[in-house]
Amino acid sequence: MSNTVPNPIANGPVASRERRGWAWLGLLPFLAFLAIFLVLPTLGVIRKAFLDNNHSYTTKGFTDAISMEGAAFWNSLKISLITAFLGVIFGTTLAYAAATAKRPKWLRSLVSAFSGVAANMGGIILAFLFLTLLGRQGLGTKILTDNGWDPYKSWFSINDFSGVVLVYMYFQIPLMVLVTLPAIDGLKASWREASANLGGTTFTYWRRVGLPVLAPSMLGGFLLLFANAYSAYATAYALNTQSNLVPIKISFFLRGDVTGRSPAPFALATWMILFMAVSMGGYLVLRKRAERWQQSAAA
Amino acid sequence: MAAISSRIKAYLGRIGPSLVLLAAAVFFIAPILSTARAAFHKVPTILLDRHTWFKKWSLEGVRRAFDEEFFWPTLALSLKLALVTVLITMALLVPTALFVHLRLPKARALVEFLTVLPYVVPPIALVAGVAAFFRPNARWFLNSDFSLAPFYVVMAMPFTYRAIDAGIKAIDVRTLVDASRSLGGSWATTLRKALLPNMASSLLSSAFLTATVVLGEFTIASSLAKNTFATFSFEYFSRDAQGGVGLALLTLLATTALLGLMTVATRSKSRKAATVTRF
Repeated sequence: MSNTVPNPIANGPVASRERRGWAWLGLLPFLAFLAIFLVLPTLGVIRKAFLDNNHSYTTKGFTDAISMEGAAFWNSLKISLITAFLGVIFGTTLAYAAATAKRPKWLRSLVSAFSGVAANMGGIILAFLFLTLLGRQGLGTKILTDNGWDPYKSWFSINDFSGVVLVYMYFQIPLMVLVTLPAIDGLKASWREASANLGGTTFTYWRRVGLPVLAPSMLGGFLLLFANAYSAYATAYALNTQSNLVPIKISFFLRGDVTGRSPAPFALATWMILFMAVSMGGYLVLRKRAERWQQSAAA
Repeated sequence: MAAISSRIKAYLGRIGPSLVLLAAAVFFIAPILSTARAAFHKVPTILLDRHTWFKKWSLEGVRRAFDEEFFWPTLALSLKLALVTVLITMALLVPTALFVHLRLPKARALVEFLTVLPYVVPPIALVAGVAAFFRPNARWFLNSDFSLAPFYVVMAMPFTYRAIDAGIKAIDVRTLVDASRSLGGSWATTLRKALLPNMASSLLSSAFLTATVVLGEFTIASSLAKNTFATFSFEYFSRDAQGGVGLALLTLLATTALLGLMTVATRSKSRKAATVTRF
């Protein structure tokens, strides 16, 4: 782990102090663009979250959002935690199965290419796919019912919590595959042999070598999947426009409130930005860590 | 004997992974198959049995979708939006990334940090931002359908910048620039003849990925009441489920083809660029 990271600045130009001062101007278009289309709107959201009807600042809207939309918060949190957890488990398992399969040769690239498509899918198309399969009139529902189990007579419905969890797995698992596949490739067969030569069992290998190497990717993947599910809007909306989830509530309040005075949607959005900052920040830090490992493992 | 038993053991060891792959195949393919059936088979699931299974297959549902009044205009708008988004992205990020590499390596960490900021503000929060900032201050801007494009540039920035940056890291920019400049090439020539051709695969992959994201984007488009292909698909599905499903299937195929093209286009060049995703 003590590999020295090559200093990227070392072979750069040694610009004079004067020129460097001007050089910052080169970033101006980029900075201006981000300011107008990302930073100012975001600050606008946060400001409005703390403004009340009389244009005075208060934290009331911010705390009200939690007390009044507690159910939406709780649902979003549950869906994100459950689909992230299951996504990490199934995604890592699938990636491992694909990476270690010797035959057929194209299997690994098929899994990774398909994961690229499915992880990027989401949106309303995904909702349609599952409505044809497990909607009330879906083909899968029909097959299950004909075989003696009517999902709609027990706990399942595509329009409620169970449905959203199932549908989200369609992009969560592939996303996790993409995150862990490089890390699994970084596990060298020689490590396993070394562990066996030293008398280690399969269990020892995983506990002492395998999992510690995969840990940053798995933990980072969990945070990424959490953020991914927490902020997903289109799929849940297409499954059920009335879902009691935070993203849907934000949109609902924005549509309903023509005056733009109510702090509710902005407070909910601010909370979401906070959640995202924590989970995506953690993910990016862990990704850097995992990448460093893969580079030194590949070297 | 020992060789045979170890081979049996190896086979047994593959049972678990094989089952995992099989289960994954069922989970991921079943919705696509049921969508294909719903799109091409005009028999309600309740009436589905041995006798009706082979009857009434047709392309009619998909054809109906093509005949829809808003099919072509919304598709055209989405394609134009994808193009504009890609062009703005390239015009903004390629010079910025090159500039950071050549002139301002000090700013690298800052720029990288700024480009991943959109992760923190997901589309639905950006919609709230539009309501909070653009509605009161620049309402005129939102009237144009193309007002979506800059927001899509922002949404795509974390992976577009990463891809462009990876493309630059994969080549020796400094040597290329020095060689071209010392041969008398202008900055424009250097960019056109030396840098861009060498970065083509990473630029292509980020362009394709951006295009697929724009074509499927629903959240911002529907919140700003724009008639893009995604909002049309949603509205059409609620009127005509079979046509809507046919449309969904076509979109899925087109997206897969785009991403497949991207993989092919980038495979030979750099491995890093080929694994670009939304994240």
